[in-house]
Amino acid sequence: MSDDRAMLTDVATGLFRDLCTPEDVVAAEATGWSERLWSALAESGFPYVSVPEEAGGSGGDIADACALLTVAGRFAAPVPLAETGLLGGWLLAAAGLELPEGPLSVAVGRPGDAVELAGGPGAWRLTARVQRVPWGGRSERVALLADAGGDRYVVSAPVASAGVTGGRNLAAEPRDTLEWTDAGLPDDAVGVAPAGVTGDALRLRGALSRAALISGALARVSELTVRYTGERHQFGRPIARFQAVQTHLVTIAEEAQMAGLATEVATLNARPEPGFFDVAAAKAAASEAATIAARASHQAHGAIGMTKEYELGQLSRRLWSWRDEFGSERYWSRELGRQLAEAGADELWPRISTGLGNA
Amino acid sequence: MQFGPTPLSPAEAALRAEVREFLAAELPPDHRPALGFAGRHDPAFSRKLAARGWVGMALPPEYGGHGRSAVERFVVAEELLAAGAPVGAHFVADRQTGPALLHYGTEEQRQRFLPGISAGEIYFSLGMSEPDSGSDLASVRTRATRVEGGWTVTGTKVWTSEAHNNHFFAVLCRTSPMEEGKKHAGLSQLIVDLHADGVRISPIPYIDGSHHFNEVALEDVFVPDDMVLGEIGSGWQQVTSELAYERSGPDRWLSTFPVLREFLREKAGTGVSDEEATVVGRLAARFWAIRQLSLSVARALDAGAAPAIEAALVKEVGTRFEQDLVEALRVAAETELDQGSGSLFGELLAEAVLTSPKYTLQGGTTEILRSVAAKGLSA
Repeated sequence: MSDDRAMLTDVATGLFRDLCTPEDVVAAEATGWSERLWSALAESGFPYVSVPEEAGGSGGDIADACALLTVAGRFAAPVPLAETGLLGGWLLAAAGLELPEGPLSVAVGRPGDAVELAGGPGAWRLTARVQRVPWGGRSERVALLADAGGDRYVVSAPVASAGVTGGRNLAAEPRDTLEWTDAGLPDDAVGVAPAGVTGDALRLRGALSRAALISGALARVSELTVRYTGERHQFGRPIARFQAVQTHLVTIAEEAQMAGLATEVATLNARPEPGFFDVAAAKAAASEAATIAARASHQAHGAIGMTKEYELGQLSRRLWSWRDEFGSERYWSRELGRQLAEAGADELWPRISTGLGNA
Repeated sequence: MQFGPTPLSPAEAALRAEVREFLAAELPPDHRPALGFAGRHDPAFSRKLAARGWVGMALPPEYGGHGRSAVERFVVAEELLAAGAPVGAHFVADRQTGPALLHYGTEEQRQRFLPGISAGEIYFSLGMSEPDSGSDLASVRTRATRVEGGWTVTGTKVWTSEAHNNHFFAVLCRTSPMEEGKKHAGLSQLIVDLHADGVRISPIPYIDGSHHFNEVALEDVFVPDDMVLGEIGSGWQQVTSELAYERSGPDRWLSTFPVLREFLREKAGTGVSDEEATVVGRLAARFWAIRQLSLSVARALDAGAAPAIEAALVKEVGTRFEQDLVEALRVAAETELDQGSGSLFGELLAEAVLTSPKYTLQGGTTEILRSVAAKGLSA
């Protein structure tokens, strides 16, 4: 990790440690929001890491943003960190639109979403229904991709003019449905999407963001499980001494390391944009790891893991949510398999053996 | 944990390109890929590989070796395995016995064996397991008794791969009686000529019907003093560090890769269904991830680290993955297994189903590795 990125990670870890304790997460889950954490993050400029400074962002690259997300995942941070910078901020900045002060979210482009942009300069109108928008109701704006008149646009849609229907993932993170019905938009809320700013590219960034969050959560799950099984005594000794329990510890460590390294390589290779193979492989590995590690960790913890307050549940409920967001392991495996089959048998090994590129 | 992202340097990438070119030229188009390092014994191929400098890479030039790094060895090994190259003749000597001789051997032994190992001409088998000693290696009962000018060895070794084709094996034996509570003391390693008087090699038919395993009975075999490997009484330390050598190399996760590649080749005409694509993509994703864990251990070794837990984790997850791959492809292919099916994919799949249980047994069983790794994690 570069020195700058290591420093960023250290500073962020300190901030989350102070402001995102397991108690803070419990409190935030009740309301769907932690203003205290968000203000501190916003003040430090973390949400807009990877968005260019000239566009009003904090600078840095995708790997920096994902390093922050890994820390956020570790602390189960109940805030739209990925959505504001890596996803929504990227869309707005690419289209030359102003970044909002408050949290920004993004329509992830789910099947059944409808976005209709009509009119033109001076008279833009938006009619849209987008589902499972992370912290949609809490955000100031939602970034949308819209096709109109043969062109692709980025829309900075104000949440104030939307109808909001609340929804949540298993971790009580808001995943809201937002509707705009023939809402007027000022010219500075609509910008042409440049080449490369597409739904597919957004999906890659989104999947990478979830892989990074999962990696952070898995690292913490691994630590928690090692600690707990070392402290918990049954039959006169720490349960970590039992071979059957050791199997869980090893499984969790392997999955956490595999997901973590795959994701880190994918983020480091994301210059300028994340690559399809890297993201597909990292998200497939991370989502599968989430399933396997959550199960093993709960088994090793026993009943204490099944309580709302204990940290494990905060992490496992996020793992069970994030693994499916922006494409499950099955989705990415299938897409990856299709591309590999098209490329042919002799391209398989060269592709698998292409890991981290040289800077 | 010392896993971390690492790229191949331009020189390492160039080495890889050379190996790929060599393999494309040397392996005939109808080459049937071997599954894993032990897959096929082919002295001619071993010598050709050695002529390129790709055997004895870990050994220094003064012994005919090449003084290459762990990552360079990784690069060569993964290309050989991915191609299913027949490296069964030299790989034990190359990976295990050569470095052990360099480390513990006398100058005379190094001069005697290492140039031949590096030339791909001297082959070793392992001499550890016995009928009553598997994972509990310190319980070996093969015994060496002091005699004039050396030792005389009696006992039985089993699962000795390729003993009928190889030249020597390093025998772990007891050189002084076991004392209560000091199980690991009194063990030594002796280099035994597989053609010496008193050595009787008999095949143990392998599960797929081939001749791979042997029982090697030693009856009063004389081993001169100059064939003692390392210190008398230090056999346990030597063997356990030997087992740690390259525990996490590509041979621990790439053995069944050719089955996946041939599956894709077979599907080239028809394309893949959604279900098949999902299986292929999942396996490729895990290959990509595990490879980087394994590569990062090689890089750590080159940096002078001792990533023992990491190596155990890679072997544990890698060898299970080698098996998972086989079953995932079997289910996807909806086939009936037949070693003579006439389809390369089908035959490799059948071979892999029969032989892949060994991956989680050899070089430390999954259960032993978990115990090693878990102790390290909890420490």
